[in-house]
Amino acid sequence: MRYLILSILILCAVFGNRAADAADGVELQQIKREIQRIKDEERRERERSERLIEELEKKVDQLESQNRQLQQSSAKLETQTTEQFHQLQEQMSTTPSPGQFARSFADYLGTHQFTLAGAVAGDFIYDRQTATNTFALDFEPILLYRVTDWLLFEGTIEANLPAGGAAEFSLPVATAQIFLNDYLEIQAGIFDQPFGDWYEEQSPFWVNRFVTAPLPYGVEALVPPTDLGVQLRGGAQWGDLGQDVDYTAWFSNGPSFASEGPVPVAGQAINGVNTIKINTNGLGYGARVRFYPFPLDSELGRLEVGASTLNGKWQNGNWYNSWGIDFNYLRGALQARGEYLEMYRQMPNSNADNRQGWFVQIGYFLNQVPLSGAPEVVQNFIHRLEPLVRYSGLNQRAIVSDEIETVPETGFSGSPSIWVPHPREVALGLDYWMAPSIVWQNEVDLELPEAGGSIATFAGNPVPTITARGATPNDVAFLSQLAIGF
Amino acid sequence: MRRMLMALALATLTLAAIGHPCRSEESTTAEQRRLFREGARLWPVYCAQCHNARPGSEFAPYQWNAIMMHMRTQANLPAKDARAVLEYLKASR
Repeated sequence: MRYLILSILILCAVFGNRAADAADGVELQQIKREIQRIKDEERRERERSERLIEELEKKVDQLESQNRQLQQSSAKLETQTTEQFHQLQEQMSTTPSPGQFARSFADYLGTHQFTLAGAVAGDFIYDRQTATNTFALDFEPILLYRVTDWLLFEGTIEANLPAGGAAEFSLPVATAQIFLNDYLEIQAGIFDQPFGDWYEEQSPFWVNRFVTAPLPYGVEALVPPTDLGVQLRGGAQWGDLGQDVDYTAWFSNGPSFASEGPVPVAGQAINGVNTIKINTNGLGYGARVRFYPFPLDSELGRLEVGASTLNGKWQNGNWYNSWGIDFNYLRGALQARGEYLEMYRQMPNSNADNRQGWFVQIGYFLNQVPLSGAPEVVQNFIHRLEPLVRYSGLNQRAIVSDEIETVPETGFSGSPSIWVPHPREVALGLDYWMAPSIVWQNEVDLELPEAGGSIATFAGNPVPTITARGATPNDVAFLSQLAIGF
Repeated sequence: MRRMLMALALATLTLAAIGHPCRSEESTTAEQRRLFREGARLWPVYCAQCHNARPGSEFAPYQWNAIMMHMRTQANLPAKDARAVLEYLKASR
């Protein structure tokens, strides 16, 4: 650019010589000054460019220096990360597997490992006929001592605080369980009577859907609740998964009856726990078989049908025989169960003491009821409810008035209408499940006894007075129980 | 009565002789997986037949060992099913 300007100025100077020689001197001076100015500007620009170049070179040097530092830091960090990664890998390789941890923990706990299970219950009890409003408590811990995978000791201690009384303690279960193989187990000691499903499986507070027991397993039971002896038992799959059969065979101390009176009479209550051969006359022996016909995959539900028998001499030469059939059906939220049982007791001086009992119950868990439109809090409440209904009854020739006990206790309302030859009961229940083994149970019992039978009264006399039992008033009881299985 | 006891003893010995011995607790991982899957199917049905099925988190594995022996007795569970439910309860904690 500047050369172009210089060329133009020179040309102008050459051609200008002809036109104005006089002005040449002044113009030449101007041109020279202009050239000088341009040269100065050119020099300043060059100097500025050189300064900028120097600054840029400095910045480049700084960036290169920073880059070198970053590369060094990165390399150091990578080294540290690699070292830490290797350390973690080494730690992981030395950490025990879940199985190793379990074994180590078991070693830490020692070989004598006790497990505490069981249940506790607190009851509120109301009975209209006796005008009772009271409370009762019961605590039943089960202590399990597993010696090996084939030997288990089990003990149940029951602490019962009835209404208005001091605590009562008992030892309903104390057994050794020896698992000989997959199909045979020996159990010896004091055990729940393996007759029907009630005593062994349904009697724990939180397992029984109701607060009370059905009439054949209540205060006028037809078979002894516990017994002392030896059992052989086991189960096997006979078809597809879920198609099982199981058995229990046992001999035991045998049955005995309450001895409030000096002579035996029909209707006497059966004793609960027997001491060894004190109240009985020879061994009792029993058998129970259960059958499960439906495979698990059939979607027909789980059905159990069973049969039981218990026999023995309750007195010299006098037999006690009992048998029963039962069922249990589970399908989704629906559960139903029922039993029918009979007892024959040979009497020394009178007609046989025959008794029959039954119950059937059905419940439906509302956890599967669709409530999409309801608020969440309502859904949560409804889905924890389980309404239930049960009908149970008992037939016997007589009862003994000296044995009638109406003091309420856990699972018993104390209603006098139960103490009749032909009690009938409709129980309506509503359970609220707070957790799988924590339940608040509410039950209304409608006692609807039928007329008939007789009452034997000793009242201190050697011979009882037998009177006909007429119509018995109906009764209503309400029980509310908080039961916790632990 | 003596005959009955003798017959009972004979039956016990026979069953003990023909039955398989109790298996060791040690089992392969593949076997544990198989037991877990089977236990997961059995647990909600077999337990709920009497009571609500309780989750494995409620007890430690060593406690489940004792409790499942107790339950095998109570319900006369087939031994293989009891093992499957036990594996499921211990592994699902």
